[in-house]
Amino acid sequence: MEIRPIISALMRSKVAMILIGLQVALTLAIVCNSLFIISQRFERMQRPSGMNETDTFYFGSSGFGRGYDARATQKADLQLLRQLPGVAAVTPAWSVPLSGGGWDSGISLQPRQKTATADSAIYIVDDAAVNTFGTHLIAGRDFKPEEVVDTAFGGSLHPAVVIVTKALADKLFPAGDAVGKQIYMDQDPPTSTIIGVVDRLQHMRAESSSIEYSTLVPAYMPYDNFTRYLVRTEPGRRDEVMKSVEQKLAESNRNRIVSKMRTLEQTRRDAYADDRAMMIILGTVIVALLTITALGIVGMASFWVAQRTKQIGTRRALGATRFDILRYFLTENFVITTLGLLVGGALTYVLSLWLLTHTDGAKLLPWYYVPIGFACLWLLGQIAVLGPATRASRVPPAVATRSV
Amino acid sequence: MTDEPNVCAIRGLRSIPGAARRITPMPTILADPRLPISFTEPEGVMLKMQHLSKVYRTHMVETHALRDFSIHVRDGEFVAVTGPSGSGKTTFLNIAGLLEEFTSGEFWLDGVAVSGLNDNARSKLRNEKIGFIFQGFNLIPDLNLFDNVDVPLRYRGYNAAERRKRIEESLARVGLSSRMKHYPSELSGGQQQRVAIARALAGSPRLLMADEPTGNLDSLMARGVMELLEEINRAGTTIIMVTHDPELAARAQRNVHVMDGQVTDFDAEPKLRMQSRDADIEEAVV
Repeated sequence: MEIRPIISALMRSKVAMILIGLQVALTLAIVCNSLFIISQRFERMQRPSGMNETDTFYFGSSGFGRGYDARATQKADLQLLRQLPGVAAVTPAWSVPLSGGGWDSGISLQPRQKTATADSAIYIVDDAAVNTFGTHLIAGRDFKPEEVVDTAFGGSLHPAVVIVTKALADKLFPAGDAVGKQIYMDQDPPTSTIIGVVDRLQHMRAESSSIEYSTLVPAYMPYDNFTRYLVRTEPGRRDEVMKSVEQKLAESNRNRIVSKMRTLEQTRRDAYADDRAMMIILGTVIVALLTITALGIVGMASFWVAQRTKQIGTRRALGATRFDILRYFLTENFVITTLGLLVGGALTYVLSLWLLTHTDGAKLLPWYYVPIGFACLWLLGQIAVLGPATRASRVPPAVATRSV
Repeated sequence: MTDEPNVCAIRGLRSIPGAARRITPMPTILADPRLPISFTEPEGVMLKMQHLSKVYRTHMVETHALRDFSIHVRDGEFVAVTGPSGSGKTTFLNIAGLLEEFTSGEFWLDGVAVSGLNDNARSKLRNEKIGFIFQGFNLIPDLNLFDNVDVPLRYRGYNAAERRKRIEESLARVGLSSRMKHYPSELSGGQQQRVAIARALAGSPRLLMADEPTGNLDSLMARGVMELLEEINRAGTTIIMVTHDPELAARAQRNVHVMDGQVTDFDAEPKLRMQSRDADIEEAVV
């Protein structure tokens, strides 16, 4: 290998080497960190909500007009909905995971605890909630109908019984014996008893740091004349049921409007729209940077080939084969890329540390991103230089004797 | 073009002023390198071309750079190839140095038939057998003298110790061993050409091809380079030198004049060293 003479020759024309090396270094730093952010976002988007998202939808019912009885309408609606063909389960639900709106509350283990032990999403539901959400009880029991109590809107929530997610149960009671334990909602007595634990049900805000902490509260809490219903259908019948629900409810009571009918899939898409946009932007930046770097290498290598045509001819005349010339340019690129990557490796962690201190929820770049980045940029460099190097290898040795 | 090469040669002689001065008293039939009689001693022949042609073709034009070109150079000779610009002497040099392929004819280099060789084999043969000295020196400006001389040795595949030994020896031979770490731009033209000679010699080639080796040098430097080439030749290396300069050509053992892609004039035998061979040749003819 001709690495030493290549390095000493490059040291005689440092500017080009430094420019390309810096480009490679910056590309490595930005690409590695961008890929890590993309992977984090992708990972976030892949988290299961704990629900049967494929077969579930929800909508609002807003009553109007004099004499509209929200409570009676809800009872009638639930009865009607549960009898509709294709409907598997229905629950009134103030909020829905990932929908972005709803209540959350601090959960404490002591009365008037200064700082809550955990923050949790609060889902005000009835006794059909576990079944409708499609989550699974892994400990304890479900709500009984008589445990669903009337609660005034805006007042403090002090349910006698609650069901919590496993993540919340583990946070509150790491020994794994949450069922039967007392917790304080809003730090105030009286206590609520955990009667059941479900495997998973995510927070209504996808960006919440307490994404896996949720509490089901059995209550009827009217908000004017508005009620939201969550419906789980039999597998594959969601779209069909959505149409019939709208029609049946409209027919059943003309003093209300059925609105905001959305599937859980749409809700997930909306919840992660920012993440998706971020991924697209960073992906575009990565592609653009790699393209610019590759073009930079192609441009510089092409320039060098043109500039050194006579030198290449001389090397050929002195016995270099075409492959020797090809290898010379590939090696030269490898040397420049490696120098750039060594600088870029350090720069990558500087950038990662900066992001760590300036961005919420950022993590330090895992070590393996750097060697993978090295390999990718080496490969990119070699592919980029292959065209000019092949052209160089085709320079005939007779060029050595040409006077111009 | 004629089927009678001797006639062609005689015509060529008449057309060149002073050509008769270089003609030896040997019979023309013996002197013509295109005749088979020239190869009664093939083991002593470094380079032999027979009826060789080189045609450059474009969509519109066909240029015959060499036609029916025949020459032989014996092992250890110092041959000067002269001719005006465009006569074909550089094409001859390129083909003889395996830098370019020929269109038809036959060519042996140190006993190896060149026509069947692929590009890689030609590169290898070039690297092993031939050293080049170019008019413009063709040193690599970004490499110091040591690395410049190292270039052909790396392609030869010598190990580092062998390369170092050869580089030091060849630079010492041209009187530049103290300047190994210098770059070409730090040397005079004459010194650069000496480095090029050192580079050409480092691989111990059997044939040295020199393309106007003093073309870019002043007369003093040119004389020094010429003396060095003569010394190298005396040590046994065959040299073929392409030159415009009649004074330089006169210092070679044998001159070959090229015109319109053909050998038109030649010294039949080396002026100094072939005395002892004359008897053999005569004997062969008889």
